[in-house]
Amino acid sequence: MARAEIPDGLPLSAIAARVQPFVAARERLLPVALPLGNHLPNGGVQRGTTVVVDGRRGVGVTTTTLMLAAAATTTGEWAAIVDPDGTVGARAAADAGVELERCAVVRRVPRDRWSAVVAALLDGAALVAATVPDRLRPGDARRLIAKARERSSVLVAVGPWPVEAALRLHVEPSAWERASSGLLTRRDIVVHVEGRGVRAPMRLAHAV
Amino acid sequence: MTRTTRTACVWCPDWPVTAARRRDPELAGVPVVVRERIGSRDVVRCASSEARADGVTRGMRRREAEARSPGVVCIDADPAYEARAFEVVARAIETVTPRVVLDRPGRCDFPTRGPARYFGGDEALAAHVHSVVAATGFGEGVRVGIADGMFAARLAARHARASEVGVHVVAPGESAVFLTPWPVSTLNNEALVSLLVRLGLRTLGSVAALPNDAVLARFGTDGRVFHELARGLDPGPPVLVTPPPDLVEQCELDPPATRVDVAAFAAKGLADRLLERLAERGLACTQVIVEAETEYGERLARTWRHDKALTPAALSERVRWQLDGWLAAQAPVVAAGDRRAQQDADVMADVDTAAGALTLVRLVPDEVVPADGRQLGFWGGDQAARDRADRALARVQGMLGYDAVATAVVQGGRTPVEQVRWVPWGEPREPERPLTIDGEVPAWPGALPPPYPARVFAPPLPAELLDGDGRPVRVSGRGESGPRPAWLWCRALPAGGGTVRSAAGPWPHDVRWWDPATRSRRVLWQLVVMTEDAGEIACIAAVENGSATVEAVYD
Repeated sequence: MARAEIPDGLPLSAIAARVQPFVAARERLLPVALPLGNHLPNGGVQRGTTVVVDGRRGVGVTTTTLMLAAAATTTGEWAAIVDPDGTVGARAAADAGVELERCAVVRRVPRDRWSAVVAALLDGAALVAATVPDRLRPGDARRLIAKARERSSVLVAVGPWPVEAALRLHVEPSAWERASSGLLTRRDIVVHVEGRGVRAPMRLAHAV
Repeated sequence: MTRTTRTACVWCPDWPVTAARRRDPELAGVPVVVRERIGSRDVVRCASSEARADGVTRGMRRREAEARSPGVVCIDADPAYEARAFEVVARAIETVTPRVVLDRPGRCDFPTRGPARYFGGDEALAAHVHSVVAATGFGEGVRVGIADGMFAARLAARHARASEVGVHVVAPGESAVFLTPWPVSTLNNEALVSLLVRLGLRTLGSVAALPNDAVLARFGTDGRVFHELARGLDPGPPVLVTPPPDLVEQCELDPPATRVDVAAFAAKGLADRLLERLAERGLACTQVIVEAETEYGERLARTWRHDKALTPAALSERVRWQLDGWLAAQAPVVAAGDRRAQQDADVMADVDTAAGALTLVRLVPDEVVPADGRQLGFWGGDQAARDRADRALARVQGMLGYDAVATAVVQGGRTPVEQVRWVPWGEPREPERPLTIDGEVPAWPGALPPPYPARVFAPPLPAELLDGDGRPVRVSGRGESGPRPAWLWCRALPAGGGTVRSAAGPWPHDVRWWDPATRSRRVLWQLVVMTEDAGEIACIAAVENGSATVEAVYD
């Protein structure tokens, strides 16, 4: 790059941003751990996109969300979880691979400030997993999609998302495997993946 | 939460002047200025009371000081000599307590709990320390302050001037009130102080009166530390890590070192190596213990603190000062005509020690914090991401309240709720009941094995747990459960619940049986419920006092 193109007195950070090399699409990816990563396009979620996770309560929606959140913390980035009920289980999060130190959980979010909180978090965290309130306005949802694209953060919307998204993970009911004593041992969460880069809607299983 | 340690601070005002006068008695009674070079400027580092009376202040240019106070004597700063002379004071205080921490030459502090009991209260301790220091001959205007936390103790020592005895004790719990009238400039951060003053917040009291969330939202994490100091809490280093035991650097000196440059050269390598090894683990050091052994088998140790993480230069400087102090204490052979060395020897003759040459130097990291912002990525990287996250989360804390943003710490416990502690973002992540204690894993009888539930309800949600005959499942007086559960109804489950497919358990918990007020007896069940439209749902149900709850769902 020619020297003359950088004006004098520009802060170093601005110069770094200017001469920053071209970023390949692969580098803009948060790789998701196996087995879920196997079934996502390029093995992860693209920065700046929105991912929707939905399904009935109790079938594995939270676990799937936590696996996506782990993709951010294992690459050294920060993740935030918006959890208005305050019920996320931290031990399950740690088991899913989330580094708790770099994962902020925002609890007790009033409905009318939900969009503002998620937008503020998209500014700071590489991935924001937010439980969507009922009857979210499509306009608010689109603004958040744009915000995520602008900040190169991933928005994981958990629940009824009113507009389009790059990737949709629909979690379907599945069965538990049990020891002879009745103790739970494992289950295969069944996820139906749909979206850009996915050739046909896939129905697949992965273990917990 | 933050705990504050009751701390005593011993402060010798104008220490550079005191030390210089001790070395050169002719300076007594005349205005003296100790100068230092900052960049190309020649400024006043410290002025004697006579010079101050003429209007000389700290940080003033030397030429201006000379103009204001004719006849002032300017001498060059000599930090090594100041530190060496302060060793006399430190040793005197060490006769009272072993836990003296040096902050800089002229100021040190120690926790008072033990010595205050021995000497019969804080006042008696402060008076005793004052007399001990005064007896060294360096006690010119020494002040002792005792308060909750280091910051308040330092200000108490400054306040001691007003009283004749040079001692000021702030009663336990009164520190917040004591701090109220002090100006914000006592907080050591120029940028923030100037901002606070421009906002009209001139005293610590006015800062302390602000709500926690507002301070965090407006001033970020720096502001939060300020706020805690102003309220009389001691934030201490952000997060203390237990120093890894193998991170001790030592070297033997053979032949034993009698000259400080020999010992300091060895110590320089030690300091570099120690910080390098800490950095490899992502740690930095804020407090270090310098230890030495002498040829007569005497062991010497002294603790040095630094406000920020120690750099290699700062650490080796302190080690050099300390070794210098010890070596000078053994009355060196004085070359004829070496006036300065002769006076050094006179100073150190006050110290009753026959140390001898040093045979071993050891550096022990005492307070270790995670090093942040050392490993910058080439394009901004780690630190930029952390700053961005900190800013965003502080903003959300400002919107929703300080407690609304939390991180989880896994800790010991029996139920899923007990096993996690939620810590507000920015506070030390410490468990209440550690998972391991001294390398051993305490057993929690009745805790459920993994997998762990992804939804945990605190408080648990009311539910109906029925047996095959439609009667509620109960716990007997002996903690035994009757017939196995057959139906579970709860609003946490899809379609409100259904038939129980399988049940594992029960796990009986007899909680705090020794305490009649808080004891409780419950059983936990791990259930798989068949719901109408969502298939099998696994959950943890509890029965206590005849009523059932759902504690967690394996979502």
